[in-house]
Amino acid sequence: MLEIDQLSFSYGTRKVLDGVSFDVAPGEIVALTGPNGAGKTTLLKVLACLLMQDSGRVRLDQIDPLVRPIKYRRGIGYLSEECPLYVEMRVEEYLIYRLRLKGERHLRVRRRVAEAMELCGLEAVAQTHLGRLSQGYRKRVGLADALILHPKLLLLDDLLAGLDVGQRKKTAAVLSSASSRAAVVVAGHEIWEMLTWCTRFVVLKAGRVAAMYRTSDYAKAELARMLEAQVTSAAEEEDEA
Amino acid sequence: MRAVQVIWLREVRAFRGAFSCGVPVAAFLAVCGWTFAMMLRRNEGSVLQLQSVWGLSVAPWLPILSAVLTMRLFAEERATGMIDLLMVAPIRERSLVVGKFLSALTVVGFTVGLSLAVPLLVLPSQSAQVQGGVRVAAFAATFFILMLQASAWCAAGTMVSVFFRHQAAAAVSSLLLCSGMPMVVYMAILSWVPSVRANVAWMPLLVHVYDFSTGLFSTAVMALYAVAAVFFLFVCSKALACLRLKG
Repeated sequence: MLEIDQLSFSYGTRKVLDGVSFDVAPGEIVALTGPNGAGKTTLLKVLACLLMQDSGRVRLDQIDPLVRPIKYRRGIGYLSEECPLYVEMRVEEYLIYRLRLKGERHLRVRRRVAEAMELCGLEAVAQTHLGRLSQGYRKRVGLADALILHPKLLLLDDLLAGLDVGQRKKTAAVLSSASSRAAVVVAGHEIWEMLTWCTRFVVLKAGRVAAMYRTSDYAKAELARMLEAQVTSAAEEEDEA
Repeated sequence: MRAVQVIWLREVRAFRGAFSCGVPVAAFLAVCGWTFAMMLRRNEGSVLQLQSVWGLSVAPWLPILSAVLTMRLFAEERATGMIDLLMVAPIRERSLVVGKFLSALTVVGFTVGLSLAVPLLVLPSQSAQVQGGVRVAAFAATFFILMLQASAWCAAGTMVSVFFRHQAAAAVSSLLLCSGMPMVVYMAILSWVPSVRANVAWMPLLVHVYDFSTGLFSTAVMALYAVAAVFFLFVCSKALACLRLKG
């Protein structure tokens, strides 16, 4: 479904992504992990068409974002790290606005919004101003926005940050159900939590894919140890550099 | 077209509750009212017609209102990070730009419309002499040229706001572009070609307002403002697309 081939990106002279390649199949939840500055957010931004790669190719169901950007963007749902929202809007009003912006037909809007709110547990705060929501609820609204149009590809940056334990479990359930019809790429540092629901881990180090692990091939504790060792060593190398 | 409408509607609603909209609109109306009263007093007994006085009292303040209203359009989105979510949406940059531009123009149009209350409603009710002098078609022509000018100022302001994260910086730059540039060009022409002074007593921008208010329509003037607006909007959408190159 999603093909990433030799993707490179640099901010000025600083190379942030260097020849990143991997595929994500539908039904897969791929966790991107690595130390700070490894290029996780940048990679998600390139996949979300917020940044244009210097070289390399991205394809979603054979659609190249550089050739058919609107069609490509219609197929993705994106949750950014900061999870920005229009604070003066109410939750339901915001989701309706986002759905209309994404081009959904008028008749389906209410149903889709109700579905997304139910999925993310937002019914109780439907009429609350976004500015009054806690960080956890803001994340849920962002997730509802990403999921609302049943995208083929979900890109979630630092999804678990700011969520309590119960909410993390619910989020995992939401993602597992969403992954039945979408490919999911999640960036984050919460290795233990992601181990329970991710199907694959991609470790980024200085903009390169340092390692890739399929969760089904390892015992949970063993894989967690390996991943932590990878991330720690990458962070140390980066500090030294 | 649908995306333009959705963005336009949201922005107009956002304007409605924004402090950065209510205060400038109130200040604009107050200043226009004061200028209108001063001009009426100064031109008592002159041939200047009521719609011309109104147009000339509104036109100088339009760039300021436009700059203040448009400063938040993209600068705020960039500061809060909402620009990312807009850019991920399956819409073209030009739809985004046009929707936001139209929202600012709507607010400007509404405000200019409000400023019509004094010459069209209050004055005729107070004075029988004025009552006969009010010609709605002439006011409509004046409103038209003011909106043409406002479209150019709003387009410039929308374009400038793409380049900034700070709203104040966007407003100042937009003001420099809208008010400063025409002034500098006019002054430069006067200093290099002093003979022009005899033919052009006022700033050309005010002359356009006066001409339209007296029925002297010019296709060239209409084209000038329309082209300026389209140019600024085009640059704006390209600048927005360039954000994808390096964030």
